[in-house]
Amino acid sequence: MFHNSSQKKFWQFDGEAALEKQRYEANQKFRSKIMASGKPVSDSLFLDPHEEMVIFRHYEKRLIDFCSIFKPTMPKSVVGTAVMYFRRFYLNNSLMEHHPRIIMLTCSYLSCKVDEFNVSSTQFVGNLQETPAGQEKVLEQILEYELLLIQQLNFHLVIHTPYRPMEGLLIDLKTRYPMLENPEVLRKTADDFLNRATVTDVGLLASPSQIALTAVLNSASRAGLSMESYLTECMGLKDDKETMSKLMDTMRRMKHLTKKYELPKPEEVVMCKQKLERVYAEFSSSNLSL
Amino acid sequence: MDDQGCPRCKTTKYRNPSLKLMVNVCGHTLCESCVEMLFVRGSGNCVQCDTPLRKCNFRVQLFEDPAIDKEVEIRKKVLKIYNKREFDFPSLREYNDYLETVEEIVFNLTNNLEVERTRQIMEQYQRENRDVIQRNKVKLTREQEELEELLLLEQKSTEERRLELLEEEKRQLHAKRKNKQALLDELESSQLPACVLLAQHKDRAVQLEQQIEKQKQAVKTTIFSTGIPMGQTVSLQPVPEIREVLYHHQPLYIYTHGPPVPELDQLQRLGYLNHVRAASQQDMAGGYNSGLACHRAVQDAFSGLFP
Repeated sequence: MFHNSSQKKFWQFDGEAALEKQRYEANQKFRSKIMASGKPVSDSLFLDPHEEMVIFRHYEKRLIDFCSIFKPTMPKSVVGTAVMYFRRFYLNNSLMEHHPRIIMLTCSYLSCKVDEFNVSSTQFVGNLQETPAGQEKVLEQILEYELLLIQQLNFHLVIHTPYRPMEGLLIDLKTRYPMLENPEVLRKTADDFLNRATVTDVGLLASPSQIALTAVLNSASRAGLSMESYLTECMGLKDDKETMSKLMDTMRRMKHLTKKYELPKPEEVVMCKQKLERVYAEFSSSNLSL
Repeated sequence: MDDQGCPRCKTTKYRNPSLKLMVNVCGHTLCESCVEMLFVRGSGNCVQCDTPLRKCNFRVQLFEDPAIDKEVEIRKKVLKIYNKREFDFPSLREYNDYLETVEEIVFNLTNNLEVERTRQIMEQYQRENRDVIQRNKVKLTREQEELEELLLLEQKSTEERRLELLEEEKRQLHAKRKNKQALLDELESSQLPACVLLAQHKDRAVQLEQQIEKQKQAVKTTIFSTGIPMGQTVSLQPVPEIREVLYHHQPLYIYTHGPPVPELDQLQRLGYLNHVRAASQQDMAGGYNSGLACHRAVQDAFSGLFP
């Protein structure tokens, strides 16, 4: 369960500041590693955290697109797990060190395995748009990176996504909250909210049940229905003002984060990608196959 | 060592002094290799007296005269049955009578006189005194164990004493050497005249010797050789009872950081199962029921909800 999972113990952070600090540190670590190797480099050659974020979001979108056209259809939890792996990996590693294209495929390969969505490796690479020889090569690369990915995840492979908590909340609403006549109307908007939340940092900041509750409450307020009494009566929070206020605060922050996410502009993406390729051409010796 | 050879291959005994003679129940000997050869099928007849024998009954000879070995074997078997002790008998005379019967039996069996009758007597005795025999057998094994333990203890204590003595000697030697070295150093470095230093050194050496003597005498005996410490009075109080804290089962409580989840068996009653897809016949055959999925979903929805 989530309350005694490794996700709660090791991969929940207090605020966006902590996350930014980690990413900044990863960036600095890569820079100092290259500086220490003695090559004469100019500082402008490196990517700064903003550019890294641009590329990160671009590849994240590509990951989700890849999973959506995947045959057989990938369940939502597998997609969520893959995105979370991607996010966690680049929390402690710089994009300049390992190219996101291969990491993205490795993440989805690993999440298929972990979430027991059985696809053979040939079936997996068959979904890429490439010649069979190219697919073989990609498969080799995926297998090479798999262990590194697991290691950088600190071997914490179980991810709790918010999809099942959302189902649970809907069931609970139907059973215990007759004031809401048809909670099914909330499902579609809540789903949409969850999809948008997956590509933000909310998974690293709040528990999946909180995210699901935010989704449900958000869609209820959009539809104009009030659900305050659900929290106070059914959840037993009538007397516990402190927990209630903290919960509301967390939910507000999540909503805000989700709203302010936007896809980066294509020109910016192209520019950052070029810079990234240059970095790879200069420094990486292990990425020659890309 | 041995003046007789193996009755069969005669020469082999002199050629190979490590070869052993084996004795059987009939009292005749055979060397090891002859035993292997003759009894390759497990059983056969004795060379000299032609009694049917088994290979497993051959034992390594301990005494020069094979007849003695035979008697020793028979005595062991008889004494297993006739195992009464002196205090089992009310008077000395009766004990001696008992012993005489035992000797007669052993003599008869060894020299093959009235074997049948003797065996019958033995069987009769065994039937009559079955429980006494059993009791005495148990006592015997216990005594043997105690003896073995005492032997082990003795061995250990002698070993320890020996090691201590060695240590002591080493220490003394070391002290003497240090003393000599100290004298040399002083002669080298000190300002006093040599005769004064020599006198000092002699004093110190004498003191050391006296110390050693005193130490040797100081080892007082504190225990008797049987292990009872001197001056101890035997206390007749009962052994104190040791009571430990009783184990109390506390049910496991896991903090879920969220509202309480209804129990699995309550789900039907509370109406949760109406909102879950019902399990088909195929699903239920494997042991699945819709309550399981419902419970899991609700658990996940409530776990970690409160910050």
